[in-house]
Amino acid sequence: MTEPDLTRLKDVPPPREQAKRAALAAAMAAFDDAEKKSGSATQGNDAPIRLRDASSRTEGKTQMRASQFNYGLAASIAALMIAAPAAFYLSKFNAPGGGNFATVSGKLTDAAPAPAPPREESKQDALAAVQAPAAPAPAQSSTGSLGTVRGRLGVLVPPQTSGPAGGGRVGSAANAPAAPAKPAKMARQMEAERFTSVPMPASAPLAKSKEAARAVANGLIMQAPQDAADMLPPLAEKEFRDQFDSKDVNPVKQVAQEPVSTFSIDVDTASYAFARRMINAGQLPPKDSVRVEEFINYFPYNYPQPESAEVPFKPTITVAPSPWNAHNRLVHVAVQGYALQSAQRPRANLVFLVDVSGSMSPEDRLPLVKNALRMLVDELKPEDTVALVTYASGSGVSLEPTKISDKGKIIAAIDVLGAGGSTAGAEGIQDAYRLAETHFDKGGVNRVILATDGDFNVGVTDQGELKGLIERKRDKGIFLSILGVGQGNHNDALMQTLAQNGNGTAAYVDTLNEARKVLVEEASSTLFPIARDVKIQVEWNPARVSEYRLIGYETRALRREDFNNDKVDAGDVGSSHRVTAIYEITPAGEKKLVDDLRYGRKAAEPAASGDSELGFFKLRYKLPKEDESKLISAPIGDAQAVEKLAAAPEDVRFSIAVAAFGQLLKGAPYRGKYGYDDVIALAKGAKGDDPLGYRAEFLNLARLAKTARP
Amino acid sequence: MPGEGTESELAQRAAAGDRAAFAVLAERHYARVHALAWRWSGARGDAEDIAQETMVKMAGAIRSFRGDCAFSTWAYRIAYTTAVDYIRSRSRVIPFAPSKMQELAESTVRDLPEDAAMNEELWRAVRALPEQQRDAVLLVYGEDMSHADAATLMACSEKTVSWHLHEARKRLKISLEAAI
Repeated sequence: MTEPDLTRLKDVPPPREQAKRAALAAAMAAFDDAEKKSGSATQGNDAPIRLRDASSRTEGKTQMRASQFNYGLAASIAALMIAAPAAFYLSKFNAPGGGNFATVSGKLTDAAPAPAPPREESKQDALAAVQAPAAPAPAQSSTGSLGTVRGRLGVLVPPQTSGPAGGGRVGSAANAPAAPAKPAKMARQMEAERFTSVPMPASAPLAKSKEAARAVANGLIMQAPQDAADMLPPLAEKEFRDQFDSKDVNPVKQVAQEPVSTFSIDVDTASYAFARRMINAGQLPPKDSVRVEEFINYFPYNYPQPESAEVPFKPTITVAPSPWNAHNRLVHVAVQGYALQSAQRPRANLVFLVDVSGSMSPEDRLPLVKNALRMLVDELKPEDTVALVTYASGSGVSLEPTKISDKGKIIAAIDVLGAGGSTAGAEGIQDAYRLAETHFDKGGVNRVILATDGDFNVGVTDQGELKGLIERKRDKGIFLSILGVGQGNHNDALMQTLAQNGNGTAAYVDTLNEARKVLVEEASSTLFPIARDVKIQVEWNPARVSEYRLIGYETRALRREDFNNDKVDAGDVGSSHRVTAIYEITPAGEKKLVDDLRYGRKAAEPAASGDSELGFFKLRYKLPKEDESKLISAPIGDAQAVEKLAAAPEDVRFSIAVAAFGQLLKGAPYRGKYGYDDVIALAKGAKGDDPLGYRAEFLNLARLAKTARP
Repeated sequence: MPGEGTESELAQRAAAGDRAAFAVLAERHYARVHALAWRWSGARGDAEDIAQETMVKMAGAIRSFRGDCAFSTWAYRIAYTTAVDYIRSRSRVIPFAPSKMQELAESTVRDLPEDAAMNEELWRAVRALPEQQRDAVLLVYGEDMSHADAATLMACSEKTVSWHLHEARKRLKISLEAAI
């Protein structure tokens, strides 16, 4: 096929007279109203409806982007617009390095100082116009297909109405697309309601249905295109825009050829949260976005605890039959990290680096981050310090390092954060590191927490350079964690890289509940490391095991010789983190996936002591302040084996179900006919206490995945 | 007659508060605004909403129009930002449980026949592009703008526009081939 004929995009149907008249009538009404406003000395600023809370759900959307209009440039363009487009292919192949360009956004930030007078004026005039209480809605509702939305001007709330939230919502919602305005107080109430009414478990679907209800109420989706495929423009978009590093699924390996498996632990959970969001929206996540180990490690498990911080890990190994292959067995390796007691917890010197670019304005981005930060501030101890740096077109320090004891000041600084401008991440990062350095706490935890939707148009155009910066700071003791939000721009690959190089975690947060999990329930593990560079190595006994494969950890593979090399960086583990790795093995003598080599060496004779051992587990770690690694080891033997999967502990069964689910989503081979129903059955039987509802949510997700579109 | 003035005169008068002058301008520009709105939204209802909102915004902001640029450029920018905002805000409320989708699908008012033509493969594919690629394609091909103009509206460089177009063409080719 040849290039599509894009000139066809010129043809659009003519407007309908009826709609045109309605629009013009509305415009004239707005014009008249603006006239009244322009006569008033106060510019109408005293009307309560015009005030906005920075954290309203329409944050950053109120101003017209037209307000940052470059008149000089525009004048020359005016001429160009008449001229035929030229030089079309000229720079075609001169594409600049990054694709994540700042979105068009002349948006003004709430927090930003007032812009040049004419702009401000125009902004307010525009607002006033849209809010025009007197604006009639002539003939609008007669245009059948648009009844609800078109009524927009008709249902506006007059400014003097300080009525109930419901009314306000209708009014502002009717305005929603471009010029919503909400009384500050009301917005705050809504925010508060959001904050408190997101209950602990399964809040994602709940929030979604609330959203749906709201959307229906607003009439925003009444215009929904005619078929389901059309209903998902954001998802279709994200297929292209979200970036994931792709790695092939770990292959089956021959013990005779490669008896040793080495990998770095991974305590990230972003992949699961991201998949959850996609599935809740009715679509399967892109295969590359699925990292099975992050699925497994998302869930809290009650593994046996280590005794002390000196030996901060306790491995527990279970060998059980594989549910998806009768010939195979699963070796479930659970490693529980030591949980620091509050008194042992070091002081925290935290710098939040918050992306306030225009793309952060949706409710599930900046407002969510703000709520998350408020929650975290509540969790910290009085002597911990917090600083706040924002970045967009420029970067700025919005809060110098402040002790938690001065909470009011911190909360106030969080409250005024507003989205606007384009993204230039690098300066912000430098500012954040500078603050962290000036208040470096030798005995404490020094960490920069970057909250972004990942549209990371770094001023340092080279990702490698940014990585280098983060690594240097890491070596100085300042770590980086990343809190990813939103969908559509999510640059997973970059976030992973940055967090891994900064000795931090990358978490993807889509709901307040998730934020609570990451920042509050797991605050100590997110913020306070108990060990660095944690690596796992398993050696399989060729006399007992012929083949093995590691489920997940594709992006974390290490070379065999890296295990004992303390120079090789690996993942960090925070207080009370637990890590699970699952191997699928084929016992010697069972049907193998790969044939033996005809001319290969015969399997080694079993080591004298190794008869009862399937393999040997080793874990290397460094204590936070030490450079030399320590070793923990344990045999994997028959003693840890169970005859039936049902006899395995609940946590083991559940994590196997999660592993199966992740593999299904990834489209990974080697799982036979095992399907979603099997996953559901296995997980259901292993739900356990589930006080926070994560497992119930997982079950729900597996059910939804059955019907989700690929 | 107010209708006889040149556009810039009309705009100056409208900015000074001349109601009739503004009415003429609004009347003249509606079709173009509407066309842009349709290109971005692809549905009559949305297009009319965006167009109306643009007109209302123009009415509110005309008094601050200084004549530093052509009125049409000024109007264009408002229309473009309104359309993009509208589509974003609409897309924000869409992702939710499939069970809800049925409900919504049933409550959807059917589009008019000519909408079907507008939603053919090419448009569908264009609208499925990442936001900036979509904007670049629609501005340059649909609105017949130069790269420089598109770049100014999109607040990026010309090179970036070219790059978006290049990427967009690649993707369109793939997605349209897949659709056949």
